[in-house]
Amino acid sequence: MTDNLHLLLPEFLLASLAILVLGVDLFLPAGRKHLLAWLSVAGLVGLLVLSLLMLWGKDISLYGGLIKTDSYSLLFKVFFYVLGGVVILSAVDFVKKHLRSPGEFYAIVLFAVLGMSVMAASVELLTAYIALELMSFSFYIMVAYGRNNPKSNEAGVKYILIGAFSSAILLYGVSLLYGAVGVTRYDEIAAALTTAMANADAVSPTLWVGLALVLVGLGFKVAAVPFHMWAPDTYEGAPLPVTAFLSVGSKVAAFALLLRLFGEAFMPTIDQWQLLVAVLAAITMILGNVVAIAQRNMKRLLAYSSVGHVGFMLLGIAALSHVGAESLILYMIGYAVTSMAVFTALIAFFNVTGRDDIADMGGLADSHPFLAAAMAIGLFSLGGLPFFAGFTIKFYLFTAAATQGLLWLSGVAMFSSLISLYYYLMVVRQMYIEPAPAWAMEEAEEEESVYDEQATTGKPSKLIVTVLAALTLGVIFVGVYPFPLLEAIKSAAGALLGAS
Amino acid sequence: MIDLAFFQIVSGALFAIGLYGVLARRSAVLVLMSIELMLNAVNLNLIASAAFLDPSRFTGLIIAIFVITVAAAEVGLALAIVLRIFRNRATVNLDEIDLMKG
Repeated sequence: MTDNLHLLLPEFLLASLAILVLGVDLFLPAGRKHLLAWLSVAGLVGLLVLSLLMLWGKDISLYGGLIKTDSYSLLFKVFFYVLGGVVILSAVDFVKKHLRSPGEFYAIVLFAVLGMSVMAASVELLTAYIALELMSFSFYIMVAYGRNNPKSNEAGVKYILIGAFSSAILLYGVSLLYGAVGVTRYDEIAAALTTAMANADAVSPTLWVGLALVLVGLGFKVAAVPFHMWAPDTYEGAPLPVTAFLSVGSKVAAFALLLRLFGEAFMPTIDQWQLLVAVLAAITMILGNVVAIAQRNMKRLLAYSSVGHVGFMLLGIAALSHVGAESLILYMIGYAVTSMAVFTALIAFFNVTGRDDIADMGGLADSHPFLAAAMAIGLFSLGGLPFFAGFTIKFYLFTAAATQGLLWLSGVAMFSSLISLYYYLMVVRQMYIEPAPAWAMEEAEEEESVYDEQATTGKPSKLIVTVLAALTLGVIFVGVYPFPLLEAIKSAAGALLGAS
Repeated sequence: MIDLAFFQIVSGALFAIGLYGVLARRSAVLVLMSIELMLNAVNLNLIASAAFLDPSRFTGLIIAIFVITVAAAEVGLALAIVLRIFRNRATVNLDEIDLMKG
């Protein structure tokens, strides 16, 4: 049972790395804290290589079946390490300028990454819950990180109260489920459900209530409608890199958990929950995309847009099968790359101007053509235009749903995707056609008349431009040539649902 | 003979009271207390199920211990954030914390 403990080495080392960052933070002078970002990223790269070397092709469960190291865990582990690195790199300038105590910030990002990778690997309810809470706690702290910023405080309070509330609901579901089947390991739950389904009329109603409450609890975590009301406020108030991490990391991690839970444990009862998840997916994508139209702030717009994308990802859960799981994993990866690209462009814009309303983005194509182009590519991709990741991932996902007999849901998804294109293109229009807003004009005039060194620093740093360029290439790469990715995904889905 | 259902009913009532508190209370601290109530309903449910279902294995008891621990950490974190907002805004009333409208 404990022979294979070394397979958890990446997790142990990641926790040590986070503590190391906290420790080194104590000895660094205030001006050199950004070195911690490089330390964290170097550590993550090292761990990435280590996990690939050590865990490639392994399929072993540890701790008496609490955690599994298979290709599904490995794929998400690699994904979250890369995501953590990208988030840290794109946050460096922002943290330097706006946040106090940067050392703890990077350490908490690392803890969140640890929680996420365990979420994808755990195959038992309690382990999954603890990992989920490790990630959530890190996010609670990060959201409230602007300590003297009332908006950040408010976002933190709203997030942690709703988060704790949803945890309580999730746990109540878990306790009812445990009361009904008496086991918590995914494979044992699946076995118990299969036996129970043989005599479906005799199934205790607590089982169904428990299942529904688990779904509701996780629905809060991923911000599915009607449990999404915390998302826009939290996204708007949180520091921008945290918003990016929250909208990408927490969603992908929660869906990695959901996919594993539903694929490995709840699969025998798919007929009972499929319609429920499908309806949830339909209202989530419609409401998220419709409400996004009315938003004036870029962060709120992206919050509602991410609610819409959660709807699309729920569609993958509803269409759970080999193709469904594969296209859902592809969707998560494509969405993450695209969304990070948009957020990184927004962070760069915010670093330069200190603003994040859509109206402020007027004339961006003239003042910062690269930022505007990168953001436009990201938004086109979110909207699902061909040649970018968004088209490919939506194509695979909607096709998978249609082949699983959810044709109506694919139709709803395509329709709401069309709606989403409208508000994404409004932002592009603002950047390329509308003139620069008044404050930018004034600044430009001041710059000319005063001509001091300070005023000409209005350029995004080389670091963030590099990250942004890499992400943009990633968006195009996933859009045009996703086949190497598909190989890895196929193997991951195979590990989840058994060979096809 | 006391049945598992009795415990589940008490636990369900406790959970419902907590749920009502979360929805009806306007003070952040009272909302946190209501969430604690919900978590205690969970614990009651877990412990009763563990005792009735498989006395030889104690998965339910272990989950309950973890839930207690995580709940304590959660309250600590939440109170820290509530304290920040009280320093900055001098209120913990959730209706007055409304810089952003959602």
